[in-house]
Amino acid sequence: MSVAVATNPSSAGEVILRLDGVTKQFPGVLALDKVGLDLRRGEVHAVCGENGAGKSTLMKIISGQYQPDGGVITYNGQERHFASSMEAQAAGIAIIHQELNLVPHLTVAENIYLAREPTRGWFIDKKKLVADAQACLTRLGVDIRPEALVRTLSVAQCQMVEIAKALSLDAEVLIMDEPTSSLTESETGLLFKIIRELKAAGVGIVYISHRLDEMREIVDRVTVLRDGRYVSTKEFAATSVDEIVASMVGRSLEEKFPERTRKPCEEVLFRVEGLTRKGAFQDVSFTLRRGEILGFAGLMGAGRTEVARGIFGADPLDAGQVYMGDKQLTIRSPRDAIDQGIAYLSEDRKSQGLATKMSVVSNMTMANPSAVANRFGFIDFVREAAIAKQYIDTLNIRTPSVHQVVKLLSGGNQQKIVIGKWLFRKSQILFFDEPTRGIDVGAKYAIYQLLDELASQGIGVVLISSELPEILGMTDRVAVFHEGRLTGILTTAATSQEEIMHYASGHKGH
Amino acid sequence: MNDKQKDLIQKFAALASLLVLTAIFSLTSDAFFTVSNGMTVSLQVTSIFYLGIAATCVIITGGIDLSVGSVLALAGVVAALAVKEAGMPVPIGMMFGVICGGICGAINGYCVTHLKLPPFIATLGMMMVARGVALQITGARAVSGLGDSFGELGNGALFRIVNIGSDGFPDVVFPGIPYPVILMVLIAIAAALMLSRTTLGRHIYAVGSNAEAARLSGVNVNRVTLFTYVLSGTLAGLTGCVLMSRLVTAQPNEGVMYELDAIASAVIGGTSLMGGVGSISGTAIGAFVIGILRNGLNMNGVSAFTQQIIIGLVILLTVWIDQLRNRR
Repeated sequence: MSVAVATNPSSAGEVILRLDGVTKQFPGVLALDKVGLDLRRGEVHAVCGENGAGKSTLMKIISGQYQPDGGVITYNGQERHFASSMEAQAAGIAIIHQELNLVPHLTVAENIYLAREPTRGWFIDKKKLVADAQACLTRLGVDIRPEALVRTLSVAQCQMVEIAKALSLDAEVLIMDEPTSSLTESETGLLFKIIRELKAAGVGIVYISHRLDEMREIVDRVTVLRDGRYVSTKEFAATSVDEIVASMVGRSLEEKFPERTRKPCEEVLFRVEGLTRKGAFQDVSFTLRRGEILGFAGLMGAGRTEVARGIFGADPLDAGQVYMGDKQLTIRSPRDAIDQGIAYLSEDRKSQGLATKMSVVSNMTMANPSAVANRFGFIDFVREAAIAKQYIDTLNIRTPSVHQVVKLLSGGNQQKIVIGKWLFRKSQILFFDEPTRGIDVGAKYAIYQLLDELASQGIGVVLISSELPEILGMTDRVAVFHEGRLTGILTTAATSQEEIMHYASGHKGH
Repeated sequence: MNDKQKDLIQKFAALASLLVLTAIFSLTSDAFFTVSNGMTVSLQVTSIFYLGIAATCVIITGGIDLSVGSVLALAGVVAALAVKEAGMPVPIGMMFGVICGGICGAINGYCVTHLKLPPFIATLGMMMVARGVALQITGARAVSGLGDSFGELGNGALFRIVNIGSDGFPDVVFPGIPYPVILMVLIAIAAALMLSRTTLGRHIYAVGSNAEAARLSGVNVNRVTLFTYVLSGTLAGLTGCVLMSRLVTAQPNEGVMYELDAIASAVIGGTSLMGGVGSISGTAIGAFVIGILRNGLNMNGVSAFTQQIIIGLVILLTVWIDQLRNRR
């Protein structure tokens, strides 16, 4: 179907890897829908897309971790089916993961040759191991001792070790997933120098990054994915960051959002000033008005979740003040925040929001058990069940009974239970972190309706979302984050996806 | 068979095996199914069950307490020394022993919650320290000559009916309910109520099911965890006092490996070592399975070594069944 063909003699090179109509289906989601891509020798080919566009899935298919449900992968002129990442590696396709895959308690050399250790008889040939590793590192021009333990290295150094590992495989195709996200400017410079050398050596590089500005330095062509579908492939020189962003977000608001009933007023319900948590976010200040939905937009790792957790007392703050109305709050733990009427609905329901082995009713009252217990701490089961029933009805939660174990319910229903928990706690400020992730469309609509309803009751709602249509469709104002800083607060009605993306990728203005 | 039925069957698997065991032993030995043997088994089960209750609470939070066997020895020795050397009245001395156990538990809890040691390590350390202290303060000798009143708690019974026959020999009509058994029932009921009906109990399950979710819901995770270790130490202290009272001698070497019986009874009763799951009723069944196996096998003349093998296999079997239940 949509195969990229844009031959340009200036970057001509033999096509080493070609994907045609690659499709991948996950339960309930079509992650990739007939995606095509071709990679030439000595080329850096960027793959761009929003969170969830299917970039990582595509990379995992190329590197053999996932098997496609349809489509053809042609590598070095032959059709290939990699059953595992080992097979892909053996064929010369290496991947450097976003989250580094090194064993911290082993040395650099041991990591580079993990599971491929040179042996002499039954024993590891230590000398050869170290010498070979040293050769790889020297070739990269990095100054890391092969005997150093990986856990003593900086993130940038780990990145270099990953690259050395890929080199040691004599990789012909190298996939880099967000390699610069944790690097400083000078480290990035070194990485780019290495990438240029690899290019010159004829290695084909697939490069994934959210930092569109940096791409100018190294990228030859760029392919854009959106919602698991192929959009376009262009010469980088013949396009612009604006054009790339436009094609990344270029869908219309196809999801339906409920009509808004809330009327934000001017009264400031809640504000924070100069919030800082070292290594996560710096100097974040914003206000939340009564009855408004404030969006937190930004790319993954921009610090949105961290800010919410910091306010909620889940992580300690290094600096900054939090005010409810005019009153300054002291929040040292989630307990303090909850007592002040602040609630945080975590992005990961299963690991942070629910006790999944427990019943619906237990989860529903978990944040407010004293409301269903007498003064000796004995729980009134009748009252508790009645309250749970009440929230099950208002939130339209589908469960066979209030005593159902939560892990057996669907994602949408689980999310509503978390919401019910915080409603029962009579929260004044609700932080929703990706509340619709992994939820089907119908349940999404119900949650949107609920957000609007909560805001119209005078509750301050913060919606953290990676989906721009959701931000545009549901919020009144948007706070955009980039690498731990608040880069702008925009009025939703007067902004666009493009503008938000510009702020989110670190530009200020066009 | 749907999930619900499966769940129900596996829930009662432990209870069913208990009944089957009882039936088999009743057939193989005439003396097994009698009131007096019932009391004997109950009495033998008491120490496993006290510790089993403690283990259940700790394990539900996702922790483990390996120190109870040593702590009970230390507590018993402290109680005996308080009575013998310091001349305290028996109840005060025993109170001292129980408090001593509670302090050991508090230290365990502090290590786990504040020093962030893995529970296995923290309580392993306490296991050695408490045993060492017990041996040190007694010079590794048993403390005896404690007087009859020291033995009252362990050997006394309520509603004991004895007729003096015409020949002058006492005729035991009803052996009575031993105090340790009464204590066991009271503690079991209190612990079961605490776990199932109070907010504290709810928090214990929540911490074990998902500590982070509990923390983000405002549960004071450290305090709840600390409480379970203090409870565990206190119950170990009580077990020590009861055991030493039964022997009317304080043995610093008493209670070796009791922690494993305690954990086994909890696990047989369906408590998950992953945390979040478990009940006192289940642990009661587990404790009685172990007690009845020991008693019945003894009566049938099975050697102590074979008994160990059988109990070991029973543990493997029940936990495997539990895994099957959780896997689906």
